[in-house]
Amino acid sequence: MNTAPLSRSLLRVTTLTSLKPTAGLRTFASVAASQTAPAEPGSKKPNTKQFQIYRWNPDTPEKKPYMQTYELDMNQTGPMVLDALIRIKNEVDPTLTFRRSCREGICGSCAMNIQGSNTLACLCRINVSDSAPVKIYPLPHTYVVKDLVPDLTQFYKQYKSIKPYLQRKTASPDGREYRQSVEERKKLDGLYECILCACCSTSCPSYWWNSSDYLGPAVLLQSYRWLADSRDEAKGARKSALENEMSLYRCHTIMNCTRTCPKGLNPGQAIANIKKEMAFGS
Amino acid sequence: MASLFRSSLRTSTATAIVPRLSRPVTTTTTTSVAAAAVKCTGMKNLGILRQAGMAKKGFHVSASRRILPAGPQIIQGTVNDAAEVPDPNATHGSYHWSFERLISVALIPLTVAPFAAGSVNPVTDAILGATIVIHSHIGFESMVIDYIPHRRYPTLRKGAMWALKGATVLVLVGLYEFETNDVGITEAIKRVWRA
Amino acid sequence: MFPRSSARLTAYALPKPFFIARNSLVASQFRRTTTSASAFTQIVSPDDAHSILVARRKQRPISPHLSIYQPQLTWYGSAANRITGSVLSVGAYGFFAAYAVAPAFGWHFDSATIAAAFSGLPVAAKFGIKFAVALPFSYHSWNGIRHLLWDTGKALDIRDVYRTGYAVLGLTAISTICLAMV
Repeated sequence: MNTAPLSRSLLRVTTLTSLKPTAGLRTFASVAASQTAPAEPGSKKPNTKQFQIYRWNPDTPEKKPYMQTYELDMNQTGPMVLDALIRIKNEVDPTLTFRRSCREGICGSCAMNIQGSNTLACLCRINVSDSAPVKIYPLPHTYVVKDLVPDLTQFYKQYKSIKPYLQRKTASPDGREYRQSVEERKKLDGLYECILCACCSTSCPSYWWNSSDYLGPAVLLQSYRWLADSRDEAKGARKSALENEMSLYRCHTIMNCTRTCPKGLNPGQAIANIKKEMAFGS
Repeated sequence: MASLFRSSLRTSTATAIVPRLSRPVTTTTTTSVAAAAVKCTGMKNLGILRQAGMAKKGFHVSASRRILPAGPQIIQGTVNDAAEVPDPNATHGSYHWSFERLISVALIPLTVAPFAAGSVNPVTDAILGATIVIHSHIGFESMVIDYIPHRRYPTLRKGAMWALKGATVLVLVGLYEFETNDVGITEAIKRVWRA
Repeated sequence: MFPRSSARLTAYALPKPFFIARNSLVASQFRRTTTSASAFTQIVSPDDAHSILVARRKQRPISPHLSIYQPQLTWYGSAANRITGSVLSVGAYGFFAAYAVAPAFGWHFDSATIAAAFSGLPVAAKFGIKFAVALPFSYHSWNGIRHLLWDTGKALDIRDVYRTGYAVLGLTAISTICLAMV
């Protein structure tokens, strides 16, 4: 394969795109292309990787979801699954639909099921060492809006239902901030970092079967974030909102949540702590 | 080269975009052309070697839950309403959880003791039997709640719960009969195991 | 999904500026299409917008779950716990229910009869039946202890979850063989 005109055309694309630079959102595709531009013909063998991606279009609802296969040359693609998806969208198939924003694991938009396990596409490396295709599905047991975009309406409504904000009636003694000791603040570590990407909730079989009533790991971790906050004064109300057979007690400690969390948090532990506090008081 | 490449890209993207834009949105039942599979021959120039068309129409792409499927998406209220919070009832909440654990913890000594001690106390044996039945009942109940959602299958859920209650009563009768007329659970298992 | 209260429903969400900037080729193509007036907008009342959304929701497929999720010790172990528990409980319920109704049907279901029937079986069948009872009993018991440990709030770290998981599997193997050999 003659790569000289190829690289020239790539270079052209890069310059075109750089006319209106979008900070932080430059794809690795174009970066890699500009880096490999001076390569001699045939110097680098194409390293192809297949991506099998779940497709469903709401404009043709009668057509069943199917898997579509794309092939990319890994020499010209960035290291993460999101890089590959953006490259496919930009250069192969603009109809491919997915959510993405920060590309650094802080917004939670690109949560999806990659190689059978839920994670953020921007934090998931493409395994280039084996030849197996990368399988990408939307978050499991969600209603699909389009392709890799799940509907998280119920998830957000559940989040809203736990009142995710500080509830307090008494003013602080000195009329200034609500102070916490170092130990009290420490209890919030591992809780406040949650970005609500829904990876854990949609990895939970219990949430698959009862997502309309069971709150799921992410929302329960958030619930515990407020239960564990020394400044919050609505603990009683928060606990009694969980006093039923569905909201909290559909958790059977399956632990898929902790296994899959892309931020390394432990929703399973948070839920166990809630159960303990509910049974024995805190 | 560049212009040639551009025109080829234009045709391929055109097929992808035009049908998307030309269809009115209000018609929900539609027969518009599927724009999903785009043949991108001109794309080779961009380092993409091949775009295989749609492949693998496996069972795994559609939801495979054929037993009691979840059904179409129904959202209560608007997107800005919080999800409904059920009325608090500790009997189905924390009390139930604690009771469940208590039964489970009790099963450990009740199972080990008779076999370890070698002697069979009829009262201990009866307690063991009752504990096993309660533990099983809670387990079955949990499965009914998990797998038969009350929103979508209210009648089936009620039926399953009553059937379970009936079965448990019958089993308790059987247990009573067995404990009074026969040798007891521990002894019976021992005899069969060594037969 | 729908633009605020103005309720002006655009036919399709236009490609984000990011993509126009990214791929000017697509952008130029796009401009051509929009100027040809093939995309039109339409005034929709908020109620209609909501009913369109409700109708669209009903067409949505559920994404695959059980069949595509990676086999992991976590949920496979949990499923095994439920299956073994059901096997044991269905067995117990079956036996006691049968014992309760036995007199009405004239069955002989007492322990002596069962023990006698069991002793008549060949050695391999005896071992097989014992194994089939001992395996779910062992697994459910060991994993039950693991669950009780978890309920105290301990060993919920993912490393401990795996350690205890493998420990349960090992103990199950040992105790199953021991019980079946007795």
